[in-house]
Amino acid sequence: MFTRSRAPYALIVPAIAILILGMGYPLIWQVVTSFQKYGLAQQFGQPATLVWFDNYVRLATDVQFWVVVAKSLVFCVVTAFVTLAIGTLLALLMSAVTKTARLVLQISLLLAWSMPVVAAMTVWIWLFDRRRGVINYLLDLIPGVEMNRFQWLTNPLTFLLVASIIVIWMSVPFVAFSIYAGLTQVSDEVLEAAQLDGASGWQRFWWIIQPMIRPVIAIVLLLQLIWDLRVFTQIKMLQEAGSGSGDYDLLGTYIYKLGTSAQDFGMSSAVSILVLAITVALSSFYIRALLKEDEA
Amino acid sequence: MKRKIGVVAAATAALVVLAGCATTPSDGNADGQDITFWVMGGDTPEALRDYLKTEYADATGGTLTIEEQSWGDALAKLTTALPDAENTPDVTEIGNTWSPTFTTVGAFTDITDMVEELGGDKLLPSFVEVGEVDGVNYALPYYFGSRYVFYRKDLWSAAGLEVPTTLEEFNAAAAALKTDTQSGFYLGGEDWRNGISWVFANGGELAVKDGDTWKSSLSDPNTIAGLEQLQALFADASLAPVNEADSTPWVNINNNSETGVPEAATIIAPGWAHWSIGDLTPDPADSTKTVATWNDEVFGTFVLPGVDGGVAPVFAGGSNIAISAASQNQAGAKELLKIIFSPEYQTMLGENGLGPANLDYASALGDDQFATALIESAAGSKLTPAAPGWAAVEGARLLEEFFGKVNAGGDIPALAKEYDAKIDELING
Repeated sequence: MFTRSRAPYALIVPAIAILILGMGYPLIWQVVTSFQKYGLAQQFGQPATLVWFDNYVRLATDVQFWVVVAKSLVFCVVTAFVTLAIGTLLALLMSAVTKTARLVLQISLLLAWSMPVVAAMTVWIWLFDRRRGVINYLLDLIPGVEMNRFQWLTNPLTFLLVASIIVIWMSVPFVAFSIYAGLTQVSDEVLEAAQLDGASGWQRFWWIIQPMIRPVIAIVLLLQLIWDLRVFTQIKMLQEAGSGSGDYDLLGTYIYKLGTSAQDFGMSSAVSILVLAITVALSSFYIRALLKEDEA
Repeated sequence: MKRKIGVVAAATAALVVLAGCATTPSDGNADGQDITFWVMGGDTPEALRDYLKTEYADATGGTLTIEEQSWGDALAKLTTALPDAENTPDVTEIGNTWSPTFTTVGAFTDITDMVEELGGDKLLPSFVEVGEVDGVNYALPYYFGSRYVFYRKDLWSAAGLEVPTTLEEFNAAAAALKTDTQSGFYLGGEDWRNGISWVFANGGELAVKDGDTWKSSLSDPNTIAGLEQLQALFADASLAPVNEADSTPWVNINNNSETGVPEAATIIAPGWAHWSIGDLTPDPADSTKTVATWNDEVFGTFVLPGVDGGVAPVFAGGSNIAISAASQNQAGAKELLKIIFSPEYQTMLGENGLGPANLDYASALGDDQFATALIESAAGSKLTPAAPGWAAVEGARLLEEFFGKVNAGGDIPALAKEYDAKIDELING
């Protein structure tokens, strides 16, 4: 009979220790700071006063905060699902075409994905420039569409549309590759049998392929939702090209504005903890499903 | 065996902790100290930066590294770097509107003892004041700039208009010059640094000090009068986007390379913009760039006129300079300040169109139309409130938002009340 060895626990202690130090310290600092009044003076050495839930209460009663949360949630859900749809379509395309075409497609996706965000943003901002942008020029060529000097970044709705397009462009390769990997696990014989039985393309996808790659879809969707909730760089750079006004803020830039710009670190920590709570809530569905599968 | 390991572990732990402790700053000898100087934006030209590096090396044998920070990131970087002894710049340029915020929290070293040596009363008084807390000097002026109007002489004379002498005349002329494709006067909707001139000209203020606290005064009747004028001007004279802030103004007055005509007949810009205004020709050295050569027949300048003639108070541009309190190289930093306030460097600032901190050398600016316009407009210029929390107000982009909404045609008294409340939350730090 084996006695339970302590060795496995001892072996993972270093890894956990590093994780706790690396991620725990900022997390604990944020939790503590969210209960304090922490501004520029505290940054330069003054002690911080403990105000308990004051920051949270101020947030909960601030209309602008809830507007930003609502906008961010809508943005992340729409963007994540569209990314998933396009990514899945591209993955199906990749599995259906010839080898050379697949290679070309994969290389283009890889290039899009590996391009540094700031470099890509610079080019995208040029594309949507109101005076010299290619997008306005091309759209203007369509008869009946008046797009000369259209200001994409002046209106919060078109601003978020542009941001969404850019984020989708940047996220699709990851989704496409992950789902393609999942598709390789789908057995060809089953698909062929279904085709012989008269199942249409859509039916084959929905009833055979989709259930088999559901774990991949779940994890990819969850990751996209979390990343799109926290999106920062793209929004910040678009704001610099357009307007930094609060109407164009999503959660990422809202936290940054409160913290490093307006120097209210207490409030921005509180917002960060709330974003963390939303993220944990989102992941909890996935974790619960995963645990259920494990027990089965 | 276990005890020995325990002792070794304790010793290692102690070493690690002690290594993290800050070393005491050296104040005596500047020799061999390598220091970092942060400049904001591209205002300080290359030639001046090279001068500082050579002079510093001659004076102390150490190396001077000059790092340029873009204005957009500067506030965040200063907030995070200044308290950190390992990463702080030793000397930093700091926007004059941000000086009060950082001096009141103790970010900078007390340099009251150096003021006499660096120029004393000759230093620009309003900038010295903004860097002073309770009689102690923390930040001194670095350079001052100002804003004045650039106009297209050809377009103005074609419309039969003359250089305006009052603000009313200017507003009317700008409206008359507007066509469907060309702004009479180019002003971004969120551009408060230029738009504020109309508020100041009507006697309005952004905030006033009531006893010991600052209160935002956007709802003040004079401020509202100025904002109403601005709202009308934006609607009648400008085709700029309503959410454009301070950007590259000269782009709009030079001929557009595609259409051959400018975007606007008039702009208001900081003095150094004149280097980029003129007839555009390809750069002989680099064919991808263009060079602007001022053409006096086509372009002209004048100072924004006040409500009753004279000069309108414009937003006082410029920066202060200070030594970081957390810097380990206090002696080296002080040496750099001495070089910056030396007659040679002050003259160089003037020669390059930057108003020198020491007004004795203001004549180095020259006497061409640009220098005259700079000095005239600077004489009447005003600063933002010297409140402890002003940098936070700017960081939160509240004025950009407010001016944007005003220029979009909003209800001014209601917006003023809303933003007064928002600014009041931040302005006292």
